[in-house]
Amino acid sequence: MRNWFKSGAPWIWLTAGSVSISLIAVLGVMAMIAWRGLSFFWPAAIHEFEVRANDGSSQVIIGEIYDSEEIPMQRLRESGVVLDGYDEETLTRVLLKVGNREFVPLDFMWVMEPQIVRDETPDTLAVVERSKDGNFYGYPLHLLENGERVASTDLRADIQQRIERAVELNEKAADLQQSDIGAINFQLNRYRLERRALELKGELTDSEIARIEAGEQQLRDDYQVLEQQLFAYREEASRDSLVVRDMRGVEVTLPMYRVLDITFPNDMGVFSKVGHFFKQIGKFVTENPREANTEGGVFPAIFGTVFMVLLMSVIVTPFGVIAAIYLHEYAGKNAITRIIRIAVINLAGVPSIVYGVFGLGFFVYMVGGTLDQIFYPEGLPSPTFGTPGVMWSAITLAILTLPVVIVSTEEGLSRIPSTLREGSLALGATKAETLWRIILPMASPAIMTGLILAVARAAGEVAPLMLVGVVKSAPMLPVDGNFPYFHLDRKFMHLGFHIYDVGFQSPNVEAARPLVYATSFLLVTVIVGLNLTAIGVRNHLREKYRSLEH
Amino acid sequence: MISVTPSNLQAEALDLANLSAEQTALEIRDLNLHYGSAQALYDISMKIPKNRVTAFIGPSGCGKSTLLRCINRMNDLVEICKVSGQILLHDKNIYDKDVDAASLRRQVGMVFQRPNPFPKSIYENVVYGMRLQGVNDRRTLDEVVERSLKGAALWDEVKDRLNASAFGLSGGQQQRLVIARAIAIEPEVLLLDEPTSALDPISTLTIEELITELKSKYTVVIVTHNMQQAARVSDQTAFMYMGKLIEYADTNSLFTTPDKKQTEDYITGRYG
Repeated sequence: MRNWFKSGAPWIWLTAGSVSISLIAVLGVMAMIAWRGLSFFWPAAIHEFEVRANDGSSQVIIGEIYDSEEIPMQRLRESGVVLDGYDEETLTRVLLKVGNREFVPLDFMWVMEPQIVRDETPDTLAVVERSKDGNFYGYPLHLLENGERVASTDLRADIQQRIERAVELNEKAADLQQSDIGAINFQLNRYRLERRALELKGELTDSEIARIEAGEQQLRDDYQVLEQQLFAYREEASRDSLVVRDMRGVEVTLPMYRVLDITFPNDMGVFSKVGHFFKQIGKFVTENPREANTEGGVFPAIFGTVFMVLLMSVIVTPFGVIAAIYLHEYAGKNAITRIIRIAVINLAGVPSIVYGVFGLGFFVYMVGGTLDQIFYPEGLPSPTFGTPGVMWSAITLAILTLPVVIVSTEEGLSRIPSTLREGSLALGATKAETLWRIILPMASPAIMTGLILAVARAAGEVAPLMLVGVVKSAPMLPVDGNFPYFHLDRKFMHLGFHIYDVGFQSPNVEAARPLVYATSFLLVTVIVGLNLTAIGVRNHLREKYRSLEH
Repeated sequence: MISVTPSNLQAEALDLANLSAEQTALEIRDLNLHYGSAQALYDISMKIPKNRVTAFIGPSGCGKSTLLRCINRMNDLVEICKVSGQILLHDKNIYDKDVDAASLRRQVGMVFQRPNPFPKSIYENVVYGMRLQGVNDRRTLDEVVERSLKGAALWDEVKDRLNASAFGLSGGQQQRLVIARAIAIEPEVLLLDEPTSALDPISTLTIEELITELKSKYTVVIVTHNMQQAARVSDQTAFMYMGKLIEYADTNSLFTTPDKKQTEDYITGRYG
């Protein structure tokens, strides 16, 4: 035993154990998030239950099984629920998603298993995905065109075809609204600001007014045309509707322009289920959110996160590198430099919300407010830069991650062998030339390491962003087709904040829960993706500047 | 007593104390150097003749490398280092205020103990000094590369892979590349700080042969630990001990009939 201790084997076991536990923890978290997030996209079977209550009345319930739990009977009895002829100690109840939000008080429902007298999964049951009021579960009966019943031999194919038509028209309408009508609104706003600017400068002459008004009139005329077209699209899209029998046995008419997709999950083979799974994931990452973020996709949040992180990288890298160069190469090696260095390192320990407060007070109100007064007086009192926005978020996070970049750049600079500096200086290079031509390229892997750490930290940061630019729902992306294309003053959506918003601020907690997991999984994927890109670049640089170690 | 046979490659002896101006490449006058409060060099005065190889020998810590690094002001990099006295290059003290260290180093090139190629291609390593001077014309640079690599006896080995990384070369090849890099900017003086101490015997031999060829175009000053090397390659040798220049004479007479007891003790291996 003593020899075993002396051999060092327990030490090896201890260290290996710690590594294993960390590894298992990481993999466990990832697996859990991935499982719960991704299973949301898997087409679940739709059950039709007949539930008989104590008084003998029965009810048909159609829905997806969402969750099930076992509870002690004791608790049920205490809350006044009595089940005749059931005397086990525990009871299983299942949570059903019944959808049809406009007809039922709650689209989630608990059902006691002993009360279920019939459980079927008929092939003809359909899930209708809608742009409003969530999913609808029921039996499709027939189609209506302009209110007239359409006779069809293959109902599913006909429904599919008409849905595609409606979706296409909806997309055209949305495109028109987003790009063309959006551009007109943007330009109208431009004219309004231009007019106000001229007014403020006292240069608003009659000819200017005439020019602006002519421009505005032109835009309004264009708008009329586009609006007509928009109405035409909508009119056309509302031609068809679908009649569905729901779980109450009532025939409900669903207008086709609200229908996004229809599936018959009980009638799907494994392959079509897999296909549907990937289609749903594709929709999740490419579509805009609907219905207070509880439905639809998260594309604006992905875009906002990535854009903000890239913007932050562009800001933090030069600043951090320059600061590190000064500290390492030029600053005297004395107490003040040491104090500065300690201060920089400690800056990394300041809670992120403090940076948010600082960003709001300093950047948004002071810097942004001043910018508005100098450059955008025509917009006041509504602020341009004097309000939270993506630029301030990027700058605030840049300051938050600055210490990381400085520290790792300095480390990289100090690792470069002094013989290389001397070699360059001996050839008649000045210190600055040596820095640019030899030292910085060789330190670039270390700079990339700093950037990787900075990105990892910034992409997951939510608290400061809530103060300096993130919103629940941003109508416009920070990049679009209107000049100057990058709108850094706009607010943006962020995956981290989206998780918080969907999970805690949502009106429909049960519906939001899988979205929380899915979004978390996506956030992790985005961060890992950003990091892997940076790591790839770093390894490439490392290979290139593999230093002289012999 | 170890056998040290001066080679017949050496030029005839010069009267080192009374060199004429055109024979002199460098003159060191009353050089003192302090690291903080510790003195490292004491009153060094010597004349280094043109187009010859001068060796500094002496035990570790005797100040020979420090003296070498004074000649191209490499010691400027050490903050606590203070130099007094003069080093004259073309009758101009290189420690004068109006002398720019970078342009001085273009005239006085240096090769270090360990090969230190830059993390660039062989080609870019050689033209580094030219590019610093703003020369970017491809044809000029091509000529410089060929001339310098030939001058450093490396051309035949690398002419087919000029764009390959310099790190792919062997240690001896790297050291010759560094010499090529130094002579690419055509300095007048070439300082070699123990250039073979990190190399194997075969590479050492190649470098030594190269050194004797280099003196036709450059004044070479070499610091070496290895007395046989000093005897083989140098025309005159300076023996230093504890920061002082003990004896400075042509290599033949220094190794066969040293004037000073300390020199004799050192070259016979009694210490060092």
